[in-house]
Amino acid sequence: MSEAILAIEQLEKSYGGIRAVAGTSFTVKRGSLTALIGPNGAGKTTLFDLVTGFVHPDRGAIHFEGRAIAGLPPHRIARLGLVRTFQLTRVFAAMTVMENMMLAPLGQPGESLLGLITPGGRSRRSEAALGERAMALLGHFNLQDKSADYAGTLSGGQRKLLELARALMASPRMVLLDEPMAGVNRVLGKRLLDYVEELRRTTDVTFLFVEHDMDVVMTRADHVVVMAEGAVIADGPPDAVRTDPRVIDAYLGEVAR
Amino acid sequence: MSVDFWLGVGVIAGIYGIFVLGLQINVGFTGLLNLGQAGFMSIGAYAMGMLVTDAGWSLWWAMPVAILVAVVAGILVGLPSLRLRSDYFAIATIAFAEIVRYTFQNADFAGGNQGIIGFDQEWRDVSDWLLDRFTRIGLGDETQLPLFLAIWITFFLCLIGLRLLQRSPWGRVLRAIREDEDAASALGKNVFAYKLQSLAIAAALAAIAGFFLSFNVTYLYPSEFDPTFTFFGYAVLILGGFASYGGVALGAVLLWSLMEGLRFLHLPLSTGQIGSLRFVLIGLILILASMLRPQGLLGRKAEMQLRQ
Repeated sequence: MSEAILAIEQLEKSYGGIRAVAGTSFTVKRGSLTALIGPNGAGKTTLFDLVTGFVHPDRGAIHFEGRAIAGLPPHRIARLGLVRTFQLTRVFAAMTVMENMMLAPLGQPGESLLGLITPGGRSRRSEAALGERAMALLGHFNLQDKSADYAGTLSGGQRKLLELARALMASPRMVLLDEPMAGVNRVLGKRLLDYVEELRRTTDVTFLFVEHDMDVVMTRADHVVVMAEGAVIADGPPDAVRTDPRVIDAYLGEVAR
Repeated sequence: MSVDFWLGVGVIAGIYGIFVLGLQINVGFTGLLNLGQAGFMSIGAYAMGMLVTDAGWSLWWAMPVAILVAVVAGILVGLPSLRLRSDYFAIATIAFAEIVRYTFQNADFAGGNQGIIGFDQEWRDVSDWLLDRFTRIGLGDETQLPLFLAIWITFFLCLIGLRLLQRSPWGRVLRAIREDEDAASALGKNVFAYKLQSLAIAAALAAIAGFFLSFNVTYLYPSEFDPTFTFFGYAVLILGGFASYGGVALGAVLLWSLMEGLRFLHLPLSTGQIGSLRFVLIGLILILASMLRPQGLLGRKAEMQLRQ
């Protein structure tokens, strides 16, 4: 439990003179449910983009399961088992919900032209197995009746659920969730979090999530990292973070204003 | 309008059909705006012509090797240009097609403006033999019939192959890239490699279309492959509908029936004026078609709206 799955060291990224991420360092423990919080503009989404390879850092290092991943392209990082969702959901709109799910698993035999022409029906068997898994996962998020609909016809909340379900289809070692609860109704949101907790109990998948709902953060996360102006200002268990004067000043202070 | 006339229309429509299947996999299924398809067509056709006339190869060996040459050209063009943003990629592909055209026009090895002749004897032998059989079973002696059949059989074989690919997990990745390439790469898909494969397949189809085009006109010269070929290809694509291989066949037949059929307008105008009027009318028809049926004949309206 105590081993770090993700280690971020002195990470820096500037956009035209604005330091979005300014020497950030923290670690995420394997199997934990870690929350990343902070006021708007604290650099949370930039940090996600840096970790998943969509943006390359100016300085600093990122280690995932002991491997340096800073500067790798996104698909290479995803293949190591580090999968993300996006703050503004990115479903494949003109593909069905089921196709969205079936796309996600890594290393499918039918995904290469060579794999398609090798005889033995490996692709067909893999498709059948993945279809069953996808349907079961959709069931957990109440999306099973939507499987044949275009993903673009889903509501905002349903898209969030689909994006999480799709990320889980990739059998990740670690999932980064960017505001998974935004736009999701309370009942479904609770369902989503319950499922995440169940996954954590039964497997050792690690979750790092950005969330603005303090109730959710304080009751569900077992570790909280607080960022402000591109740097980590507090890092610890929820109870310690809640009472940290720097956090109250930087973050909760903003809410009061 | 004789049977031979309409067979001729069918030949041109079929050549465009094969050519536009390549555009469809790029534009309709991968989201790549390939405007250099005519360039790949000329590379394939010239490679075939030169292997036969200069190197003395059999046509039947020259064709598969020329397809490979076009595939390699597709990869070489894609390696730098697919790293560009999509609109810049489109510009780079036009530039590529023009470079190819001017090279063939001016280089000695390609015969310059004289072009290349005498590469198609083996095809004509087969065609004559077939024609002889057709005449014997009472099909008349329509000289274009063997080419017409060869083209449309090839078209449908390519269509079946592409449909199978589109339904495979491989085709699913292509469509995901068309929808949102960042989300696809966040799920571990090597977007660049898939785009490269899509372009290489389009180049192979362009080469095949180029073979039939050169059989039809019986020699190879640079202006056969000018950029308007690609743009008529896009007219076929828009008419038939995005992300539909069947629509390509329909669009090609419709456009070329109009193009050739309108030659027979009986109006008190000179031949030159009628020639120009033809294009005015076709332009109007295309505008009307895209207003009344923006998704094309076989495109899906729901998919189009979801993508906006």
